[in-house]
Amino acid sequence: MALLQIAEPGMSTEPHKHRLAVGIDLGTTNSLVASVRNGIAVCLPDESGRTMLPSVVRYHVDGSTETGLGALKAQATDPRNTIVSAKRFMGRGLKDVAHVEAMPYDFEDGPGMVRLRTVQGVKSPVEVSAEILRVLRVRAEASLGGRLVGVVITVPAYFDDAQRQATKDAARLAGLDVLRLLNEPTAAAVAYGLDNAAEGVYAVYDLGGGTFDLSILKLSRGVFEVLSTNGDAALGGDDFDHRLFCSILERADIDPPSLEDARRLQMKAREVKELLTSCEEAPIHLRLGSGELVDVVVTRNEFADMTRHLVQKTLTPVRKALRDAGLTPEEIKGVVMVGGATRMPQIQRAVAAFFGQEPLTNLDPDKVVALGAAMQANVLAGNRAEQDDWLLLDVIPLSLGLETMGGLVEKVVPRNSTLPIARAQEFTTFKDGQTAMAFHVVQGERELVADCRSLARFELRGIPPMVAGAARIRVTFQVDADGLLSVSAREMSSGVEASVLVKPSYGLSDDEIAEMLKSGVEHAGDDMVLRALREQQVEAERVIEAAEQALAKDGHLLDADERAGIDAAVARLRELRAGSDHRAIKSGIDAFARATDEFAARRMDNSIRSALAGHKVDELEL
Amino acid sequence: MSVTLSESAARHVSNFIAKRGKGFGIRLGVKTSGCSGMAYKLEFVDDTHDEDLVFDSHGVKVVVDPKSLVYLEGTELDFVKEGLNEGFKFNNPNVKDQCGCGESFNV
Amino acid sequence: MSIDPTQDYFSLFGLQRTYAMDEAVLEAAWHRLQSQVHPDRYAHLPDVDKRRAMQWATRVNEGFRTLKKPLARARYLLELAGVDVGVETNTAMSPEFLMEQMEWREAVEEARAAAEVEELEQLHVRLLHHARDVRAELGRQIDVDHDLAGAADTVRRLMFIEKLQHEIDEALLALEG
Repeated sequence: MALLQIAEPGMSTEPHKHRLAVGIDLGTTNSLVASVRNGIAVCLPDESGRTMLPSVVRYHVDGSTETGLGALKAQATDPRNTIVSAKRFMGRGLKDVAHVEAMPYDFEDGPGMVRLRTVQGVKSPVEVSAEILRVLRVRAEASLGGRLVGVVITVPAYFDDAQRQATKDAARLAGLDVLRLLNEPTAAAVAYGLDNAAEGVYAVYDLGGGTFDLSILKLSRGVFEVLSTNGDAALGGDDFDHRLFCSILERADIDPPSLEDARRLQMKAREVKELLTSCEEAPIHLRLGSGELVDVVVTRNEFADMTRHLVQKTLTPVRKALRDAGLTPEEIKGVVMVGGATRMPQIQRAVAAFFGQEPLTNLDPDKVVALGAAMQANVLAGNRAEQDDWLLLDVIPLSLGLETMGGLVEKVVPRNSTLPIARAQEFTTFKDGQTAMAFHVVQGERELVADCRSLARFELRGIPPMVAGAARIRVTFQVDADGLLSVSAREMSSGVEASVLVKPSYGLSDDEIAEMLKSGVEHAGDDMVLRALREQQVEAERVIEAAEQALAKDGHLLDADERAGIDAAVARLRELRAGSDHRAIKSGIDAFARATDEFAARRMDNSIRSALAGHKVDELEL
Repeated sequence: MSVTLSESAARHVSNFIAKRGKGFGIRLGVKTSGCSGMAYKLEFVDDTHDEDLVFDSHGVKVVVDPKSLVYLEGTELDFVKEGLNEGFKFNNPNVKDQCGCGESFNV
Repeated sequence: MSIDPTQDYFSLFGLQRTYAMDEAVLEAAWHRLQSQVHPDRYAHLPDVDKRRAMQWATRVNEGFRTLKKPLARARYLLELAGVDVGVETNTAMSPEFLMEQMEWREAVEEARAAAEVEELEQLHVRLLHHARDVRAELGRQIDVDHDLAGAADTVRRLMFIEKLQHEIDEALLALEG
């Protein structure tokens, strides 16, 4: 039986309709799931009371998989089939991944995202991440006593479109409905800001296992506005481990170690890093597979020296973010530290020196992102009263552009634009009678296409034949609140909607995802028709519930005839929902949307008017 | 008669209110709906209404509206753990039968 | 489509159609509007509502951006008044301005070629002051004198100045490595 939680005043839900929502911090090294229960965000523990799930997946030869601590322990004995830090490969080609030579995997390089050959066949990093998400979903559903209506998954702020899309695909494979992809530093700012009633401009310094983000936010009266963000999607605590690992190899004079020894030394390096947070020195005693003994001592100062360049490397994005926000370090009210790696004393010192103030450490750097994500998930699921809500205004971290003549980039959406954003650019044909045009979408700040990240190529077809230069093709980039791009195109003089065929450079195609869904353990033996039916029924319920709430709140915007029309539409959809034809339900939902479109538009206008009503121009609250 | 909290429930409620940072107590209520006719309501209380009845149980203010009290008289709210799941449970002597989930009931 | 394309950004934000703008008031209106239309408010609702919210929130952000930046705001005001700023067509600038333009450009080019960071920074500051004067002139022309033709000319000058400012920034960035 489902046990009850205490709701916010007036926010009790109907039985069996609890809007269970969680936040997931899908980390490079560890992952967490958190939820708001009884008004408080908490990380949900597993049966042994552990909240952190090591982001490690092991593929067994018998077809089963193991995720978390058990898999982590096997990484020295079965390195090839035990995938750690899969987040580093999300939306990446093999050439983009650092330290490939030190990794024990059997990579399959190809034109798109890198893949790994395991005893269970070739796995995409998306599938590995989906395993981690699935384990967290099962844990959350057991802890909350029901199905999740949605999740907020955090991503590094500096993740590009391909990496974000890969994360969303992983969620889909894990059977999760993503309410929002939320930037990790923003999630941390929400948790910190709400807990401390913070106001002013803050910096969030987020050094994760494999990524570094620096975001600058302005917190004012319930609005979290990201002013700028910068980072390095391939710099993290792992790199500090790697420096230690290399240094141990040098000192112990080890020739290329075996796969197993390499993994054991890497694990040792991580332990040493953690030990040096509290101790002045750390000893390493380890017998290798060959029988050779490694016996060295690393001091805190030596560690700081060998990682100085890494610490310095984090300060470049800090400077850039400040410049983009038009601020100096002195104007920052506080620096929130996020990620276990920020416990390293050399990091704390460098940040304190740069900002001229001690960083804020009154929160758990491992948990703050998951907790913030849970708070946001609770709001997005509709579990809080509107007047208690807060508003997040986030930005796109990297500019989006199109390739132009000579391999140059023409920027279309500038970095640090507040989301959602749409931008259009016009192009023309250069040949008489030209009916198609090719485009190349890239992301990044550099001038040359070769130095930016290729996101997708697409082709416009169906341009009416005209003389060269007569066609006016408007290409529109729309970036949504998740930071994900969609592209549309139209020939303006004829009004022809040209079709866009997008080929993601590093993503998965819809067909590949469908194939993975079909072959996934989660859905084996699952009747696809039944599944489609359930999905449409859930959406129909959502539509009906939303309509009923809208009628209760804004029914006065309708006259009697209109009201009767909508009531009839609700009744019709309810009838269809009870049936078993998923196609009929889907077209019923579409018909319902058309029938209520005018009402929805009127409600939106009304709420916008009321947003400004009673506030004459010169009286707007400051 | 009144509506009470078990010791464990009271301890958890106090803790939640302290962490939430505000709140007068908790509201227990009943509304008509659900698969067996009635459903429980469990909410934080920031403002009470004139007609509300307020009980004190282990130092926690328990607020009930008079209409709900008819169905809740003698109820004890308990806090229990079942596997990974944990939460509140109504032990209500007025209930004749309830749906499998225990979230809605009949009197 | 629910988005009313005839409603201009000033009325969307509940502001008077003037060049003078109190940024704090504009920002408060932006927050107020976004708290009604932002997709986060509709995340638990059907897809059609989410799409509508995204379109609205996109428009509100575009409005904020347009009204916030002085140059964009001035261009928008002229556009609303039916005055063609004529970036592409009207290249007839006064000889004094063209002369001034060339001098600035040469100074920046020389400093860049000689990698004179200090000189570039000085140019940057001088140009900032110059831009401030030009903006003040723009405000007078639009709000006080209602000299829109003159304002269009000033807008073109300001566009040149901002472009140059951007080039100095880029040169400084490149020199910093």
